[in-house]
Amino acid sequence: MKRPLILSIICVIGFLWVVITFPGVFSPSVKKLGVFMPAIYGLIVAATFISFIGVWHLKRWGMELYAISFFCKMLFFILTKTFEITSIAGVVFSVWFIITYLFFYKKMDANL
Amino acid sequence: MHLFFQLVKESVLFASQSLLANKLRTFLSLLGITIGIFAIITVFTVTDSLENNIRGSIASLGNNVVIVEKWPWAFGADYPWWKYMLRPTASVDDLEAIILNSKTTEAAAFRVDTKKRVQYFSNMVENVTISGVSADYNLVSNFEIEQGRYFTQLESDNAKNAVILGKTVQEGLFPSGESPLGKDVKMFGRKFTVIGIVKKQGESMLGNSMDNQVMIPLNFIRNILDVRAETNEPYIAVKAKAGVSNEQLKDELTGILRAERRLQPGTEDSFALNETSVLSKGFDGLFDVVGTVGWIIGGFSILVGGFGIANIMFVSVKERTNLIGIQKSLGAKNYFILLQFLSEAIFLSLIGGLLGLLVIWVITLFAGDAFGMEITLTLSNVVLGLTISFLIGIISGFVPAYSAAQLDPVEAIRQ
Repeated sequence: MKRPLILSIICVIGFLWVVITFPGVFSPSVKKLGVFMPAIYGLIVAATFISFIGVWHLKRWGMELYAISFFCKMLFFILTKTFEITSIAGVVFSVWFIITYLFFYKKMDANL
Repeated sequence: MHLFFQLVKESVLFASQSLLANKLRTFLSLLGITIGIFAIITVFTVTDSLENNIRGSIASLGNNVVIVEKWPWAFGADYPWWKYMLRPTASVDDLEAIILNSKTTEAAAFRVDTKKRVQYFSNMVENVTISGVSADYNLVSNFEIEQGRYFTQLESDNAKNAVILGKTVQEGLFPSGESPLGKDVKMFGRKFTVIGIVKKQGESMLGNSMDNQVMIPLNFIRNILDVRAETNEPYIAVKAKAGVSNEQLKDELTGILRAERRLQPGTEDSFALNETSVLSKGFDGLFDVVGTVGWIIGGFSILVGGFGIANIMFVSVKERTNLIGIQKSLGAKNYFILLQFLSEAIFLSLIGGLLGLLVIWVITLFAGDAFGMEITLTLSNVVLGLTISFLIGIISGFVPAYSAAQLDPVEAIRQ
């Protein structure tokens, strides 16, 4: 199956998003939350990046990993009380990504 | 789990062989991560050390203490200094009014400073801060008497020629280590009997360390100095009773001082009531800016370092393509190849990060003496450095590792 244009766009946006937000992992504001918070947040960002690679190769695990990392990110924001109004835009985009993925989920490859 | 560790062990062996086979290439690739980790963790280490030092200095001014003086402590461009400079300085009359009328005050003390030479026979220490302090100064300021004692009420009231020395002054006047208690030192051309030594405080970023300072009774220094002169920086330190907030204390002090200075209703206060928390907040902003600048610079260095790791991994995959083909034809699963190259990337990145941390640690051993303050590579910064290296390894190594895992064994063996 050829990769749909919409998934390509989402993946490119995702890759750029990871490059831009990766330095945020070790920002002073995350560092202030606790010694291991940059590590936890960093793993979530890394998982999101890997999920985009999976989606780029039309793998189901990519979509599943994206959904899990999104859930973990929300949990992180809520538990650390760092969810702000500006985070809503990120949530809207993520939900849109997941809904789009669902349309193509059955056509995706179930293998690694 | 056993398979996983076996895999990691094999990957580390592969990575080590790859490192040793291409030393220069590996070194240049790791340099990006090393510099990135060095840049960002250095900034965090220096800002953390500065912050600890300044917070320690602020704490030594006393917690829960309100400072009455002419100038308000404030940060920012909007500071109408031309108004404040017309104000009178804090006076002993103000102190007496506070002691007499305040119900929320636990202790209040007046302090005035000047700089003079202190002498003991042929030994002398130049440019010592000589503080004239009132009786309760030990109750409003954070310092410990190491030897001897503080002034008695009688000594303070009767302007006794007694002195308490800071540690540096003591070491300068009595280098042989003899006890200074009971000895007479000379200041202002007069003799003072040493009654106490203040415990060493070390360097202070705010310049308020008591090491190069001596204290004498306020009533004595009043005979020599104009204690209201602005050059002598007079101020009153007021400590609230337990359970009384600084806000309550400030409200009461405002009333007492306005009455004492006979200020008409509606006119502005002619004094400032400063709190140490203002200093803390001011420095919070400064450290946030420094931390953010360091984070941006270091962040981009690390990204560049990540591209270096990704590059070396792509080369590594290309070089070992036929090996991957053989492994797969012998039954190796995709995830086995993926984990093999991914752990190699993480291993390489961690070595780069460890080198960066090692360089910082070596620098901190010498930098403390050079800057006159303690600079420490904290555990949290070590954890952060290793975390960043680990994550960079994952992010930059995943694409090459995944492309290796996806290789067709037949095509791979042919190459």
